[in-house]
Amino acid sequence: MSTLAPPSETLPEVSPAVSEETATDFTAAAADLAVILATGKFPAGSITAVPENAGLDQTTWIVDRDVLFDLAGELKTNPATRYDMLLDLCGVDYPDRAERFEAVYHLLSLPRNARLRLKVPLQEDDAAVPSLIAVWKGIDWFERELWDMFGIRVDGHPNMRRILCHEGFQGHPLRKDYDAARRWILTEDKIYQPKFNLSEGGDDLFERMAINIGPSHPAMHGTFRLMAILDGETITASEVEIGYLHRCFEKMAETHTWNQVIPYTDRLNYCSSFINNVGYCKTVEKLLNVEVPPRAVWARTILSEFSRIMDHCVCNGTTLVDTGGLTNFWYLFQPREEIYGLLESCCGARLTVSYGRIGGLSQDLPPDFMERSRKLLEMIPPLVADAEKLVDKNRIWIDRSVGVSAISGEEAVNWGWTGPCLRASGVAYDVRRAHPYDLYDTLDWEVPVLFGGDVYDRFRIRMMEIKESLKIIRQLLDRGMPEGPYIVDDPHVALPPKEACYTQMEAMIYHFKLVMDGIQVPAGETYQMVEGANGELGFYVISDGTGKPYRIKVRPPCFPIFSTFPRLINGGALSDAIATLGGLNVIAGELER
Amino acid sequence: MSNPKNPTSSPMSNMVGESWVTTKLEVLEDWAQRNSFWPFPFGTACCAIEFMSTVSSHYDVARFGSEVVRFSPRQSDVLLVAGTINDKMAPVLKKIYDQMADPKWVISMGACACSGGFYRAYHVMQGIDEVIPVDVYVPGCPPTPEGLIYGILQLKEKVLRDRRKHARHDAKEQSEPDKETIERVDAGSTV
Amino acid sequence: MIQTTTPPTGSPGRPMLRSPHPADLKPYRPGFWERLYLPLFIGLMVTLRHFLRNLFNPGSRYTIEYPEQRRNYSHRFRGHHILTTRPDGSVRCVACFLCAQACPAECIHIEAGEHQDENIEKYPVVYEIDMLRCVFCGYCVDACPEEAIIMSNNYDMAYFNREQSIVGKGDLMKPYTFDEEQLGYRPRFPEEDAKRSRMRRDAFDLVTAAKEAQAREEKKAAAAH
Repeated sequence: MSTLAPPSETLPEVSPAVSEETATDFTAAAADLAVILATGKFPAGSITAVPENAGLDQTTWIVDRDVLFDLAGELKTNPATRYDMLLDLCGVDYPDRAERFEAVYHLLSLPRNARLRLKVPLQEDDAAVPSLIAVWKGIDWFERELWDMFGIRVDGHPNMRRILCHEGFQGHPLRKDYDAARRWILTEDKIYQPKFNLSEGGDDLFERMAINIGPSHPAMHGTFRLMAILDGETITASEVEIGYLHRCFEKMAETHTWNQVIPYTDRLNYCSSFINNVGYCKTVEKLLNVEVPPRAVWARTILSEFSRIMDHCVCNGTTLVDTGGLTNFWYLFQPREEIYGLLESCCGARLTVSYGRIGGLSQDLPPDFMERSRKLLEMIPPLVADAEKLVDKNRIWIDRSVGVSAISGEEAVNWGWTGPCLRASGVAYDVRRAHPYDLYDTLDWEVPVLFGGDVYDRFRIRMMEIKESLKIIRQLLDRGMPEGPYIVDDPHVALPPKEACYTQMEAMIYHFKLVMDGIQVPAGETYQMVEGANGELGFYVISDGTGKPYRIKVRPPCFPIFSTFPRLINGGALSDAIATLGGLNVIAGELER
Repeated sequence: MSNPKNPTSSPMSNMVGESWVTTKLEVLEDWAQRNSFWPFPFGTACCAIEFMSTVSSHYDVARFGSEVVRFSPRQSDVLLVAGTINDKMAPVLKKIYDQMADPKWVISMGACACSGGFYRAYHVMQGIDEVIPVDVYVPGCPPTPEGLIYGILQLKEKVLRDRRKHARHDAKEQSEPDKETIERVDAGSTV
Repeated sequence: MIQTTTPPTGSPGRPMLRSPHPADLKPYRPGFWERLYLPLFIGLMVTLRHFLRNLFNPGSRYTIEYPEQRRNYSHRFRGHHILTTRPDGSVRCVACFLCAQACPAECIHIEAGEHQDENIEKYPVVYEIDMLRCVFCGYCVDACPEEAIIMSNNYDMAYFNREQSIVGKGDLMKPYTFDEEQLGYRPRFPEEDAKRSRMRRDAFDLVTAAKEAQAREEKKAAAAH
């Protein structure tokens, strides 16, 4: 990367907030319960630990609703626990239990690299939890979703209304007694109108204007609605509305078999769809306790990195389009086309690949995979370099992006940010480094970090990550393709090879049962994560032992990031808001599932 | 400016009266119109990414006259619905369609826009033809850029055919969703 | 210029990649040339280079001129379905309903009937795929135990109304020996086994491949006359 002036002598330190230790299992939080109970602030029996799953799944505590708020504050501030990030909040419906609902909180401690799950059981007629916004700001939208999907009230929430479903919707769709296909029509009179106070503040000379941007707007990527009060060009107050692409992934997952969910996962972050496949398959493979063969692991790593490059190309390309630099969009879309060629030769589809299967891949790699990949490694860098040259020293771009919507690392962590946006604010957290999976811990690569936290840095860090991904792919190609099967050799998990199916009765029966009933995943739950192009993409999967998932919750990386959007743009110009939105890389399919 | 006897005639022929000159001008006008569709990309999901690929240099839909993608309904004539439209977005889609000036056409791109795709779900519209009339359905999930271009070419053929038969499609003049659909869905129909 | 630094002491770890940023330097002062907007010429040179190259060297253009040129998708492409047939022309499908069950979109509708031959007990009287529901995931092909449904590499599909899009048995049936250039996603790829031994080492440039495919077509057409 070029510099505009000689670097200063003292660069800011790598944020000390991130642990340098990598974790390969989940035992880091095992001692925390003793620490918490030793404080004496919580009555006995209000927090109990679920027996450890031998480090395969997170430490889980069952918590009484009454102590939840204090416990959250304690977990965050106690120097021995320091859970500074809330990853996910979801609800689960157990209609057979006395306490029908469960609110499940997933916490992460960046300094200790420890993970914790809190479960709060709730009665059906008294389904309410206290709002934890005072502890973790990023829980805002998660709590609204809890209400929307399950009807669990959140007391103390400033804006308790539906977030994903429309205003005319009745009922709570993720409850088990809600019919998956029951729709409600939204009529014009029920569309949400924000209640802004136009006369608040400001002077009497100029009138303020309330403006609605989106959802059908090019800069809003087609599906976000921004309602803003403008004072001239400055945004003084704003509110974001989402839900315009809510496609009911989680309910669809409950009505389809384990393998049939994979095409749905493709369409979550559709710019890098293979990574979603990998994340989901990895989670179910953990529940099944199967080991993916080395060939599939190798291929998954390479294709995930190619998908990451694709996603960063789209993000940077559209950011520049939104700020007026259209040429870069053409230059950055060409690498995507080249990678599409590779993906299409593997599985037959360009964008929504559905290439992963539980246990490995759906098809073996094509014979020309190595050659195609090497050719891509030569084709991509010149195109990316051209795109960089156009904006690198370009004062127009620098003026539009440096210092725009800057956010500090501490605040970003509190909001629940992960991924390149967080790394652009100085926090070096990457799931591939902190909790390595596939082959990432055997390769030589770096986690890029920048300190400005503004749009310029979010753009640049994606360019740096593209280069790191190319480095990873090159090393894997140099290592060579491992021989062997491309899917696990267990007939209860993977379809038997077709030759066996055509000739042997036993294989035919396994094939039939797998297609008709689905994989019988043993009862249990787990949360596994991968580093998506936007951040930590987590899947919280609960199985009840049948061929269909009981509950799948996707932890979308851009959900907390986008909830920060009003805070980022208030006080800035309208054009800065557009540049900010581009840099955050919010993919609606993932945001709203 | 339309002639009630022949609603498909152009404003020019209404002013001057039918003659050889205006007939040829109409031919020219129609030729220009169908070779310069300006799409309004109502892109919501994955199909929008494939649409972006179509306008990129690898496929370049500008070769067919769609050089400008106009994000304003007043300035475009083809509403290209790319991506899932759900019940929250349906009034927005209807409003955009109503705001477009005649003549206008609709291309429904991708399985979700055509029929709801595999989202038989509580928040997804099972095809945009619940609220707006559709001229061309392009299947695929997402359709390849070539598939989309094929759909645009089919629309061109359709416009040519309709011109020859003096038939223009007529728009549903409603700004609310169909009352029957509301009643049916409120009664619990899941279709 | 990229600088690396070592993390705080006390823990082993790998260096993190960092690079200086204009806002690190307080306050940000654009250099002399930047203030004159002159580095914009670097960008202009890049676009000019692309422009001149595309103008004078037609082979460097990335555009595939569909419909005259078609992109050479692989033989694994998931396109329009094909119901394969036996040598006598009847459909190979035995109406086992596995494809209908495997389909996440539930777009396959089958009605079974009894087949005269006792070894082949059933056959589909009605076999319809709703092309507008289909998400082209290929699960039907994976599920079929008879290799009765495969996919072609045909992506040219557009319909004018919903009725046209429900494709029936007649439109789907094709002999299994039909043009192998048009085959797509299948359970087995016999041509790959041959290819694994003799792999092409030269360019996989998609545009060149598309042009070569077109040239082949033209040669075939010319040879047919």
